[in-house]
Amino acid sequence: MREMLGIAPDFAITRTSLLGRIALREAVQMAVLTKIGNRRVAFVSGTTVGGMEKSEQFYRDFLENDKRNEYIALHDCGACTEMIAKDFPGRISFQTTISTACSSAANAAILGAGLLKTGRADIVIAGGTECLSKFHLDGFNTLMILDSQPCRPFDKNRQGLNLGEGAAYVVMEMADGAAARQAKPLCRLSGYANRCDAFHQTASSPEGEGAYLAMMAALQDAGLQPVDIDYVNAHGTGTPNNDESEGHAMMRVFGNRMPWVSSTKGFTGHTTSAAGGVENVISILALTRGFVPANLNFSEKIDSLDFTPTTEVKTHVNLNHILTNSFGFGGNDSSCIFSKIS
Amino acid sequence: MEQLIEELKREIIEVLNLEGMKPEDIDENAPLFGEGLGLDSIDALELIVLMEKNYGIKLQNANEGKEIFKSVRVMAEYIKEHRTK
Amino acid sequence: MDIFIRSASQISFQQPLDMQWLTAPIFPSVAFNPPLEPDYKQFVSPVESRRMGHLLKRAVAVSLDALRKGDCSMPDAVISGTGLGCIENTEKFLNAVIDNEEECLPPTPFMQSTHNTVSSQIALKLQCHGYNSTYSHRGTSFDSALLDAVIQIQLGQIGSALVGGYDEMTPAYFRMLNKLGYWRTDEASDVDSLQKSGRVGSISGSSAVSLLLTSSPSSEKLCQLYGIEAFSCFEKNQLPAIYHDFLLKYGIVEADIDAVMCGFSGDDSNDEMYRYFVAECCPQSDVLWYKHLFGESFCASAFGVYAAACCLHQQKVPTHLYYMKERKRDKIRKILVFNCFQNIDGSLILLSL
Repeated sequence: MREMLGIAPDFAITRTSLLGRIALREAVQMAVLTKIGNRRVAFVSGTTVGGMEKSEQFYRDFLENDKRNEYIALHDCGACTEMIAKDFPGRISFQTTISTACSSAANAAILGAGLLKTGRADIVIAGGTECLSKFHLDGFNTLMILDSQPCRPFDKNRQGLNLGEGAAYVVMEMADGAAARQAKPLCRLSGYANRCDAFHQTASSPEGEGAYLAMMAALQDAGLQPVDIDYVNAHGTGTPNNDESEGHAMMRVFGNRMPWVSSTKGFTGHTTSAAGGVENVISILALTRGFVPANLNFSEKIDSLDFTPTTEVKTHVNLNHILTNSFGFGGNDSSCIFSKIS
Repeated sequence: MEQLIEELKREIIEVLNLEGMKPEDIDENAPLFGEGLGLDSIDALELIVLMEKNYGIKLQNANEGKEIFKSVRVMAEYIKEHRTK
Repeated sequence: MDIFIRSASQISFQQPLDMQWLTAPIFPSVAFNPPLEPDYKQFVSPVESRRMGHLLKRAVAVSLDALRKGDCSMPDAVISGTGLGCIENTEKFLNAVIDNEEECLPPTPFMQSTHNTVSSQIALKLQCHGYNSTYSHRGTSFDSALLDAVIQIQLGQIGSALVGGYDEMTPAYFRMLNKLGYWRTDEASDVDSLQKSGRVGSISGSSAVSLLLTSSPSSEKLCQLYGIEAFSCFEKNQLPAIYHDFLLKYGIVEADIDAVMCGFSGDDSNDEMYRYFVAECCPQSDVLWYKHLFGESFCASAFGVYAAACCLHQQKVPTHLYYMKERKRDKIRKILVFNCFQNIDGSLILLSL
């Protein structure tokens, strides 16, 4: 990654920031943000690991000697965002960091929409970044929610999640702003909502209250009915608790008219704070290219659920509205709806 | 056995940080979860770590704990039978 | 749309859950200043609090206290800022990972280490299913949380929000930051030396501040939140333009700013921007400060807003809040809180009677 970015081997930068910089560059290039005049650009990035991957490596040095002092100030989440933003070819007029665990990147998009709608920014780059760390790998392991096999979202015999790493950002702007600079939007963020399960620090409620509230509020925000949704990109981590809880919430929202549903974590692993960004990008790709991604490793339906996920990729389908879920520890549940531009 | 029960009670109070509770406050025959002490799934995970650390018993998944953590007495009986240290 | 700060509560090294710092302040004499803890049993039962670290107990206590003072049982949203999250638990788990070579690790410190534990514990305690978010952006973590609350109110998504700033300083983290020159020596931690220029380092504090924001006016309130602007990556000489755009946006003039509450900390690299701002932008206003009473932390700016709100409510600024003891104005109707972190991120927050 250092090579891709042209960063010297001895330059102090965390892996989370490297991942973020690569994603930011791609987003900037695709949205042609190199020629934007004096438009105000906000950068909203989610992370939870931040600089932990270096801190866990050098923690003893931090306390006992002066060999690795350069990484002390890079530990916190905000330092990671700052380090990514420095790579932006222009002035970032406002930057901030969201840390709502596995829904961080989705909430970044939600804040982004708020910044645009209230006229506080002209362009927003929103998403998240997360690298693997021993800290959270071991942490998830203490909660006994890791699967030693490839994860099996929505499968009866699922054992847990697989951790992944990554970064993803979307570039957002109001329709008139995009038109004024002749940018061609990919789709519309037609609705979104953030709700709290308020059930347990790490477990989701059996009936998926927070997830249900988030999906319903996002539909209302978009002015859509459940039946309008063509595909749900589920949070679907593959843990026994999440998939059953999210499944019940989806049954409450969609009743017996369940849209296509898949979790794409079989392809990406659970990229935690980046997951909402990665899945926003996958949803936008699905919407614009007309396909439904497959839910890998599914073989048997969960007893208490009435639906099965889409196990084979469906191509050449017409999708108008996609709902994507991002849920985090602490019951931080967010849903976003992407719609085709009519 | 009674000695192991006493020892376990002390360890449970310590590891679950049950502030202000004494060993005699725990009824070794009462359920640890739901009713009784009112513990939850995270406490169960802490007890799994306790068994591994102090008695060398390794459980493969959290569900096995359900039977073992029925009460302090059941837990003590399981430990007596399976302990490796 | 008008937005009000209806009530507030704090835990710091001043008397907790109280405004005694206005009349009977505790002045620091050392660089490491742990907070004074209230009796938490009035807020959480021992069973509830058995997994809570210090930061969580403080956050829940100030949140419940702010709600009680604001006569509100359920806010529409819980939005927090925290630069480091529950660093005490993070250190506990990190040490266990290193010491035990990743074996036999306890789940509790891990699950209580994530930054959003604070907002979610508050929501859990209140059974609040509304909007819930956490900002972790260094010295503007709290400012970002406050901005989000204002945006959600302006968009009609919420009518009220508990907005907080929470950070704890542990001895280990203090030692690490000390290597980077963050802190004063104990000998130079008194209020007088904090006001001398040309020095480095500040004194540390732990922050737990909760504000109840509402869009509906009530007879009991601290003040109005008149305006907020957050900005990043600016040069010093851009500051006057940012300030004048802010005044223009909210339809006020320089003379309306009776006092400016600045984040002077005693560290010259930090204080220089505040001195420049005061000289260039509001030379006619009174200059107030707060970090000598609450210490420096990522969420210290929450105390700036809190202290300004209390002064407006009391209609009186105590002598010990005047930076350099200089007083120009008789009446205080509008206070501008200016926060700037490492000359990278800043915010202007205007409070009014």
